[in-house]
Amino acid sequence: MDTELSEISTFIHSIPPFDSLPKQVLAQLVRELNINYVRKGDDLPPKGINEPRLYILRKGAISCLSPDGELVSRLGEGDLCDAFYHSDASALSNSQSTVTSQLNVHTDEDCLIYSVEASVLHEIGKRFPSISDYFSQNSAQRLKTKMSQVNEEAILSSTLMNTSVSNFYQSPVASIDAEQTIQQAAVQMTEQGYSCLVVLEHENPVGIVTDKDIRRRCVAEGLATSEVISEIMTRDMCTIDAKSNAYDALMMMTAKHIHHLPVTKHDNLVGMVTVTDLINNEGHNAINLSGIINKANTLSELKEISHLLPKLQIRLAKLGSSADHVGKSVSAITMAFTKRLIEMAEYKFGQAPVPYAWLAAGSQARQEQLAHSDQDNAIIICDSMKPYDDAWFESLATFVCDGLAECGFIYCPGDIMATNPKWRQPQKIWHNYFTGWVETPSPKALLNSSVFFDLETIYGDVSLLNKVRKQLLIKTQKSTLFIAHLSKNALNLRPPLGFFRDFVLKQNGKHKATLDLKHNGIAPVVDLARIYALAEGISSVNTIERIQQAAGTPSLTKASAENLIDAYEFLGMLRVEHQAKELARGESPDNYLSPKEISKLEREHLKDAFKVIKSLQDARQSSY
Amino acid sequence: MTSTTLANSNIFGWLLGYEAKRKQLLKKAPEGALRDYLSVPLPDINTLIDKVEILAVDFETTGLNAKQDKLLSVGFVTLKKQQISLKTSYHQIIKTKAQLEESNVIIHHITDSQKEQGQALAIVVEELLKALAGKVMLVHFARIEKQFLTEACYELYGMAPSFPMIDTLVLAKRRLDKRDVSYDPSELRLTNLRRKFQLPEHHAHNALYDAIATAELFMAQMSKANKDGKTPLKDVLL
Repeated sequence: MDTELSEISTFIHSIPPFDSLPKQVLAQLVRELNINYVRKGDDLPPKGINEPRLYILRKGAISCLSPDGELVSRLGEGDLCDAFYHSDASALSNSQSTVTSQLNVHTDEDCLIYSVEASVLHEIGKRFPSISDYFSQNSAQRLKTKMSQVNEEAILSSTLMNTSVSNFYQSPVASIDAEQTIQQAAVQMTEQGYSCLVVLEHENPVGIVTDKDIRRRCVAEGLATSEVISEIMTRDMCTIDAKSNAYDALMMMTAKHIHHLPVTKHDNLVGMVTVTDLINNEGHNAINLSGIINKANTLSELKEISHLLPKLQIRLAKLGSSADHVGKSVSAITMAFTKRLIEMAEYKFGQAPVPYAWLAAGSQARQEQLAHSDQDNAIIICDSMKPYDDAWFESLATFVCDGLAECGFIYCPGDIMATNPKWRQPQKIWHNYFTGWVETPSPKALLNSSVFFDLETIYGDVSLLNKVRKQLLIKTQKSTLFIAHLSKNALNLRPPLGFFRDFVLKQNGKHKATLDLKHNGIAPVVDLARIYALAEGISSVNTIERIQQAAGTPSLTKASAENLIDAYEFLGMLRVEHQAKELARGESPDNYLSPKEISKLEREHLKDAFKVIKSLQDARQSSY
Repeated sequence: MTSTTLANSNIFGWLLGYEAKRKQLLKKAPEGALRDYLSVPLPDINTLIDKVEILAVDFETTGLNAKQDKLLSVGFVTLKKQQISLKTSYHQIIKTKAQLEESNVIIHHITDSQKEQGQALAIVVEELLKALAGKVMLVHFARIEKQFLTEACYELYGMAPSFPMIDTLVLAKRRLDKRDVSYDPSELRLTNLRRKFQLPEHHAHNALYDAIATAELFMAQMSKANKDGKTPLKDVLL
């Protein structure tokens, strides 16, 4: 009579990892449950229970404390307590009767608790490894499993499978009459920038000719370029219907070793799709947008284009792009806006009096920017500048910063902008700034200036910044005091412990209504990566690149690096998804997630990500 | 058997004590489930409640009158060492001849066709007696279970034991009466009492769920009333 306990089954089924169990097995599991009532203030396990069990909280609240009394987690309805569970079946048979835990677990409220003996779960785990994995894996392993799933899904759900080829083809198709000469075809290809033309006979497509055909079938064969194009075209041309999905188009091209595929609608030629269009389709949006930006001639045109940026971010998020990819795409576009504005300014104010470079700081430099972020920028100028030259740079700075603001990149609240004379200085002053920060660090000064440790040249003379950076990195590698101060700052931002009911549970046991993904998750990783980079002399500023390059150095083990990247990507993914929803609703995007919009499974993964970050913060703390 | 003799036998049982009644009936009981039940000693009334083995039981019936109405389904689960074990849970719909009234179908969700697939009353009562041997019966609003089970025993065996019972409704009522403040009788409903103890909402009117719900309520009641763990069975017996 399995249906009799369906209500309890439904409850258990809502809790990962049991959500993966088939109904029948779930029913078996439910029949193995015990129900206990534990009075407020009492400890777990309930009196008289010695064998290892997994506890499932049905009602009430439980706190788990480390031996030194530090709160580790607080559990509410539907949470699992595995403090008295042995995931290792052999350890279970050895220890036989009693179970001990590293944690002290006590009830904060009267609790109704379901429990199941470990041996029962081991049996189920033999047939359903997802169950045993869930309990035997540590935070980092679980997170890794999750992220590899995410990446797989991203491939499967990528545009190509789900989008029709009609989204990718270029229209109208460049065509040429069969009577035209090979030379005329070459001229047309050059003029229109196509590498492929469809050949028409009385308006009907009869073949296709590519620049490769001209090389191989004409020039290499010594055929006169005055011959008609039909001489060298490929006659049995493959086509694809506009309704087909893009993945099929790519497969067809791969199978036939062709790069161009005419697209038909009701047998009429409507466009042409290329391999490049398909393979680069995600980046293509960003590239396309950059192309339009480069062609814009006025600020109002740029402003118009800037409205597309949130749409791009939504689209990228929908495609299942990683946060890394979204960040890089959005940053590339901000860079295109900035460059175009600088070109407009140079046109307006004339050429720069001396060489200089426009620098992006913070998230843009790290290529981790999202739509509607604020601008952080600076100018580094050649030491040959004269005091009166600054007037030109001030005009440039004002024009570009105002322009960026018009395009939706709000002014930096901390005034880290090229319009601020402090951040518009010759190379030697920049050098002095960094020397000062590194040699006489104060935590407060570093808090304000850490944004300058993530700098990238957007426009102008790249060598100006590179020289400063090179000297900076030599200094930071040696200065343990500086790294210590930087670490101290970074440790101010601690990830929360996890969740309790629909609240975020902070390290101090207090509750918060929302999760600040940026400050409680992403920023701590960015800070850690910066510390590793400066300590190890790594010049990259992108967080993932920094972590990858720091992997295997004294600062960071390879395994920790992988875990940290998993945590970072998971947090980034949640942020991108969250912001896409807000952008789609026409709201301005933020980093605040209500626990109510986070699924149970995501909460578990978040907890794992927090644990990974916390352990690396702790490692950092203990090294000083 | 008339209602007077039924009442008399209860008084008689109460005067003698359920254990004495058990021994007395054991001598007369026919071979089978009832005899098996009666051959297991019942816990002494001075046993600490935490040590007593309990069977939480619930019946769904076609009405309130044990003489006319029929048992529709039986659900029970064991409460032992202050722990409910769902492994011991039992639920069975009974095959009876009576047509189900529509109003009852709505309450119990048991339809005629389901009932056709049910078990015979004799088998279900046998299962219940087997599980009940040596245990105290826990119910919410004892009248139904007490009268229907007694009636069924007379029907099947020609005699009925005196079942030691705990009634969560009566336990709640005693507490409320002690306070000498008037209260709405609806406060004593299983659902409302559970809510008062902040137990989760449960799907009422399925015999097994109600049995589990009653057992949970009893554990919650004892967590308050039996803090020192020294309460003897007699303090909570009906």
